Amino acid sequence: MGKLIVSPRLAAPPRLAAFTMLGGLGAGMLISAIFLLTQGLGLSDLASQFLGYTFTDPAGLDQTLTRAIPLTLVGLSVAVCLRVKFWNIGVEGQLWAGALAATTVPLYHIGPEPVHLWIMALAAMLGGGAWCGVCALARLKLRANEVVTTLLMNYVAYMLAQQLLYGAWRNPEDSFPVSRAFSPDETLALLGFGHVHAGIFFALAAALFCWWLCSLSRVGYMARAVAANPLAARAVGVPAAAVVLLMATLGGALSGLAGFTIVCGEEHKLTQFIGNDYIFPSIVIAYLARTSPLGVVVAAVAVAALYTAGDSLKAFYQLPGATVLTIQAILLLCVCCGEFLLRYRMDWVKTVKVRA
Amino acid sequence: MIATLLAAWAATIPAFAAPFLLATVGLIINERAGVMNLGAEGIMAIAAVVSVLISLDGGGVGVALLGGVAAGLVLTAVFAVLAVLLRVDQVLAGLVTFALGIGISGYVGDGYDNQTIPGLSALPTSLFGWMPKTLAGVLDQDVLTYVAFGIAVLVWYIIEHTDLGLRLRAVGEDAPAADAAGVNVALYRLGAVLAGGVLCAVAGAHLSLVGSHLWVDGMVAGRGWIAVAMVTLARWNALRAIAAALLFGAIQALVPQLLSSGLNVPVYFIEMSPYLATLAYLLLAGMFANGADAQPVDLGRPYLREERR
Repeated sequence: MGKLIVSPRLAAPPRLAAFTMLGGLGAGMLISAIFLLTQGLGLSDLASQFLGYTFTDPAGLDQTLTRAIPLTLVGLSVAVCLRVKFWNIGVEGQLWAGALAATTVPLYHIGPEPVHLWIMALAAMLGGGAWCGVCALARLKLRANEVVTTLLMNYVAYMLAQQLLYGAWRNPEDSFPVSRAFSPDETLALLGFGHVHAGIFFALAAALFCWWLCSLSRVGYMARAVAANPLAARAVGVPAAAVVLLMATLGGALSGLAGFTIVCGEEHKLTQFIGNDYIFPSIVIAYLARTSPLGVVVAAVAVAALYTAGDSLKAFYQLPGATVLTIQAILLLCVCCGEFLLRYRMDWVKTVKVRA
Repeated sequence: MIATLLAAWAATIPAFAAPFLLATVGLIINERAGVMNLGAEGIMAIAAVVSVLISLDGGGVGVALLGGVAAGLVLTAVFAVLAVLLRVDQVLAGLVTFALGIGISGYVGDGYDNQTIPGLSALPTSLFGWMPKTLAGVLDQDVLTYVAFGIAVLVWYIIEHTDLGLRLRAVGEDAPAADAAGVNVALYRLGAVLAGGVLCAVAGAHLSLVGSHLWVDGMVAGRGWIAVAMVTLARWNALRAIAAALLFGAIQALVPQLLSSGLNVPVYFIEMSPYLATLAYLLLAGMFANGADAQPVDLGRPYLREERR
């Protein structure tokens, strides 16, 4: 007989890190593929839906890229917050707050008309940043668990938006619960490829900025210290609280910006359901990217492609809408399991009988 | 007119509050052992859909409830393996559980939407005939709702007043110390997670068997997440969870009454109020607790003897 001993690795070998990540992803994809095969899809269908349609077909690629814009921003939001071990599961609320703040600009004619778009972007970042910053402040000053506060703030923002859409902001022309349409000056330009709009530059610029911030700047360095050991960081003079507050506020601002790209780039007005179903994808994207900002862009495009494929599976194979969520869950599950092998080592220790 | 409206409102509160209460008490068991399960929403969804499927297949209410609980338990086991055995970050493990539950329930329930089942109805009105009408309305609930309130009291007693509860709390407050005192941390956490999952599953079954009598995709509608927040509002105490559940249940029961009454009131602001109240409560507790807040100290910290602090 023997005994299984699980012990943490002091340092994870980089080759093993890559191997567990790829292994986890591969296993996840394999399970997802088997799952879809049992649903009556053929192998060739899978290949054509997931690789062909999403990336090579213009309509599919259009959908993928358009969806990747807000997904990149919310993914960055979670990733930046995770850099200081701050769980941001409130990206939907921050996205709503950003969209609401952006919408106030055209509705109440704030600032000069020609620069409305820029004011809207700024307002969205302020709105989203405040929505998350408050939660960071509550954690730092009052030890309120950020998982719960960011979660609750989702509902507050959503209810606020619905109240406005059914009340003061309701479209005066047809009484639908949407705001009045924005003027062309207040929308993001289309880039001549389907629905892809200038928000893509915002998303890419945000990713580059976050990469600079996390990898090259002093703040990113301090963030790493705070994440590794807040007490030690404070002891050597890192302003730990300020760093957490800054990163969390930035994270909120990024989600707010995602709201801005949706109302200004896709909807061209505030509508009722813009902020639905972003929480889990944002976590998946940030985690698969291992919180690396440039990795987030790749992961966001991949998850967006998953949604594109999901839509067409729904249309052509009558698969339920839950397909995409299930696949994301399976992928994350497998990567999490792979992570265990990376962080811990397991040894089988034989118990030796000692004769008295 | 106002009196009848209030009476009608009061009569619907317990059935609205019961799923919140069951899920919150389940999560309290989890969190007192140091495990935060964000997957409640998914567990509730899977239990709700399986109960409906069994009912549609001709199963009785009891069988449907058991089936729902079994399905919820399987999903909880996934969370338990991730969070307790593999020591994956609990937030992450919970979110995976949430997505798996919602995703799979969408799958198995596909095509069975909106098919009504007999479900569980309230106790016969004749039992309450001798009471004042309003009181009879409030007390005339189904068995499962009564069970929910009974379970809350039972769990409170077990956690606060038995040796089992003491060990459970020790695991949640200071896992290394509990381990040193001879408590099997992983075993207690596993047990707490599974017990909590059972209660979340009963909450989900309550939603479909008592509440809606049918399955619709997305019918849990955030109640599992609300339960996560309600744990803080109840300050990790199963008795206070009754008050918290009644608050949320009362507001949720108020909304349809207001909508049908045709009064012009800001419905969404009213719906928002319990969330704001929870936030305010959380902040006030932080301001006045003087370092003695109720959150279990080891909440969210995976424990491994080899990693002792």
